Amino acid sequence: MEPVDNCLPLQISIGSVPLSLFIREAALLEPATRRYREFRHNSENGFPVVLKKPEVVLKKPEARTQESGEFSYLLDDARLILRAQDAEFHGVRHEYALDSLLRILLTMVLLPQRGFLLHGATVVRDGRAYIFFGRSGAGKSTVASLSPKGSVLTDEISLLRYSNGCWQAHGTPFWGEFRAAGQNRLVPVAGLYLLKQAREERVETLDARLALRALLPCVLFFASKKYEHETLLRTLLGLVEQIPCHRLHFRRNAEFWRVVAA
Amino acid sequence: MNGQITRNPKLAWREVDGEMVIISPEDSQVHELNETASLVWKHAEGKTLDELVEKISAEYEVARETARADLEELLAALGEKQLMFVSPEAKG
Repeated sequence: MEPVDNCLPLQISIGSVPLSLFIREAALLEPATRRYREFRHNSENGFPVVLKKPEVVLKKPEARTQESGEFSYLLDDARLILRAQDAEFHGVRHEYALDSLLRILLTMVLLPQRGFLLHGATVVRDGRAYIFFGRSGAGKSTVASLSPKGSVLTDEISLLRYSNGCWQAHGTPFWGEFRAAGQNRLVPVAGLYLLKQAREERVETLDARLALRALLPCVLFFASKKYEHETLLRTLLGLVEQIPCHRLHFRRNAEFWRVVAA
Repeated sequence: MNGQITRNPKLAWREVDGEMVIISPEDSQVHELNETASLVWKHAEGKTLDELVEKISAEYEVARETARADLEELLAALGEKQLMFVSPEAKG
């Protein structure tokens, strides 16, 4: 990979998407290198992401896909500009902003590849991934904390992608309360579980429509074009047609595995 | 109310188990239509109310007057939500 502005890239791969992050500032490069250490990946074909100084002109807050296909998104003071061949991050002041823009970037890059990010914890059991999803406070980190050490691929943001003829869950560096480095591996998805706190453990199967309705608010999605939403709907329907989706009533203790694994 | 009926062209939608799930890309709002509204969504595009009344009353053995009243109410509700429109030009 050629340097950009005399800057060698930090090469990572998330969800089998190779990225070359060109970070000039050492104050940002060091924490980023630490944060994504489990996702380092040498590739000649990493999608170039060049970090640049803050821009002064563009301040429109909304997500926008232009006719040219260029997508731009303003998040606080930082902006993502995504084109077909590369991306720019402007005004990234700390690793958390970098992390947020990377999530947004991935939602866009994964969209045409039958992939997406979901507010969910991914736990591996017997070689298969269980996705426990829900909005903030639903219990994702609780589920992760009640699962065996080493079995959690993420406690906050799950990455699902259709590849090699099946739906796979990928580990991500995007964590919540666990603040772990993550595991860069992929595991076939066994099931989806919408978290609902209750007084008993119970699994309720959702039909395709209810599953879609449950998933939609939990998908990280920043696009604003009709065709992009159509692509998302198509992807999610493909998922729920192949992978069983449930509502998991649980009491915030490890007993839930009794009904999930049943 | 007999203009041409059209779906809001800005919306993304899919049919799931016979019912429509619709997303407004501008604000990511999700709408779900019940069976009857989904039927109208599928069959009303490009038709006038008269044509739709004819189709629905014939296919579902409903009296025309009943079908018309129900459809007018439904189209008004869909219009309020900016999901379907009845074009004003052709009102007669």
